[in-house]
Amino acid sequence: MTPLRLLLVDDDVLVRSGLRVILESEPDLTVVGEAGTGRQALEVAARADPDVVLMDVRMPDMDGIAATAELVARDPQRPRVLVLTTFEDDDYLYRSLQAGASGFALKRADPDELVDAIRVVARGSSLVLPDLTRRLIAAQAPSRARGAAALPELTGREADVLRLVAGGLSNAEIATELFLSRETVKTHVSSVLLKLRARDRTQAVIAAYESGFMIA
Amino acid sequence: MPSTTLGRGAAPIAARAHELLVAARPGWPGRALYALASSPLALLYLAVYAGLLGSVVAVVYGIGVLLILLVLAATRGLAGMERRLARTLLGVDVPDGERVRDQRGVVRKLRRLVFAADTWRALGWLGARVLLGLATFASLIFGSAAFLALGWEAEWNPLTALPLLALMGAVVVLTLAVLDLLVRLAASVAPRLLGTAPEQRIAALQQSSRRLADRNRLARDLHDTIGHALTASLLQATAARRTLTPAGERPLQPDFARQALGHIEANTRTALAELDRVLTVLRAEDGGRDPAPFAAPGLADLDDLLAGLRDGGLPVALVVDGDVDDVPPGVQELAYRVVQEGTTNVLRHAGTPLTVAQVVRSGDTLDVRVCNERASQLDSRPGPGGGRGLAGLRERAAAAGGTLSAEPSPSGGFDLTVTLPLSGAA
Repeated sequence: MTPLRLLLVDDDVLVRSGLRVILESEPDLTVVGEAGTGRQALEVAARADPDVVLMDVRMPDMDGIAATAELVARDPQRPRVLVLTTFEDDDYLYRSLQAGASGFALKRADPDELVDAIRVVARGSSLVLPDLTRRLIAAQAPSRARGAAALPELTGREADVLRLVAGGLSNAEIATELFLSRETVKTHVSSVLLKLRARDRTQAVIAAYESGFMIA
Repeated sequence: MPSTTLGRGAAPIAARAHELLVAARPGWPGRALYALASSPLALLYLAVYAGLLGSVVAVVYGIGVLLILLVLAATRGLAGMERRLARTLLGVDVPDGERVRDQRGVVRKLRRLVFAADTWRALGWLGARVLLGLATFASLIFGSAAFLALGWEAEWNPLTALPLLALMGAVVVLTLAVLDLLVRLAASVAPRLLGTAPEQRIAALQQSSRRLADRNRLARDLHDTIGHALTASLLQATAARRTLTPAGERPLQPDFARQALGHIEANTRTALAELDRVLTVLRAEDGGRDPAPFAAPGLADLDDLLAGLRDGGLPVALVVDGDVDDVPPGVQELAYRVVQEGTTNVLRHAGTPLTVAQVVRSGDTLDVRVCNERASQLDSRPGPGGGRGLAGLRERAAAAGGTLSAEPSPSGGFDLTVTLPLSGAA
């Protein structure tokens, strides 16, 4: 199995060097680049072709939000962005998710949790920190409360699936909940993402809340 | 239709008037008690005024000042009683004012007692109560006199009996109406003279918003300094432990671990210094003292800051040039932050090279500069733009009308220079 290629973006060299050692000690992860600013991150990402970018939010010379938006604009599928934050209640967190980040993790997280979050982001089969993420989106989404009509036509099943995705359930959990096979769930999730033009689950959850499909 | 136009204009006014009347209309037993009590109380308050007058005269004999203070204290005490009366009998909402007793120190207490607007407003209220009491007394006397005159002095016969009875009834009603009016007048004036004064409310509001701004700044500082330092330390510690833990074919990296420990040491030292500062601020706030002098470190604190860094192994010199005594506190704090950030960055990125911190006042500008010689260890390259702290400093320098430049110097070190204007940057 080829290791996941990671790009570390943080303006503090100590955070980067610490992360590098921690992550490289995992056999299935490899750090292919580091950057100290958002602008640098764009350069290095173009060169090093990472699967996942670990992105700090507040940085000089283009912050993590702008850099994430730019990365997503270049290619909506790769790399995926995992935002690293010092504090849960960071005001910028929701904006970075809106900009296209797939999830966030706390810098103080246990190394295993961090590694897990990176793998989850790369796989895309569930939300990172489902409870926190859901609460953050539910609390911050500027709900326009236009009802499900604001979303493109979803079949009944797809709506069920979206509701559960927005509730933070993984594919496996949704399969159990709806008595479907995992493969079927995967198909439904893919078609929901396609219809919502969401690149991943996090974006789908944001769309669900912002459209009023989910009521905070 | 004109009536609707009129009605539209008059209706809200009528509604408002009704509202006011209802608001100022407590139960009649309360009002009656209030009216009954107002004449005797008026005598008491008249005595206060007489006492004040006497004290003023007594100033000539030296003891007067003390007497005036006593009278003022009594005034505030009576105002407290009046508030309770107004609340219970009239149902008027008058909050208790700030108490002189809560002030620390005799001088503050006295100053509060004599100069606070509410003391004099309370005195004004007692005066108003004297007038109201006299008016109540007068209308009672008048009413009773008229009643008695009609009953006993007038010529009663079958022809005059009915009009006389009617007149007596009218006198009773009129007297009661006047008494009621006086009580309601008291109820409507009470909040103004006994309640919290607008200037007190504004002051309290200003204080709370200032406090909120302080808190926000404190939170941001905590985030940027302690939160940041602890995060970096945590990651370094985690990484160091991994490099010292044998696992599979991975080689041990004691060099990394040693460096990491150095960083953790420096970061923790900075964080503790910051914590010390924050706690001082919070303690000052708890103690009811004005935190402002504690909140902002100034140029005078640079010696302590650099002494701590020297303990951490950084050979750093401080050069202060020009007259910096009258540099505004805000600029001083910013200058302190520049030196703090610059020197910490040297430790973090370059190890322990020779470093100079310079603060130079020339005319209307203050130059703050931190530069170091070639890095003694190259475990990390300073990124362009520098650390998070630098981004924040750049914002703050710009907000103060100044500029920040941070770049590698030709000699292979690093050079952080901030120029701050002193005029119009209070």
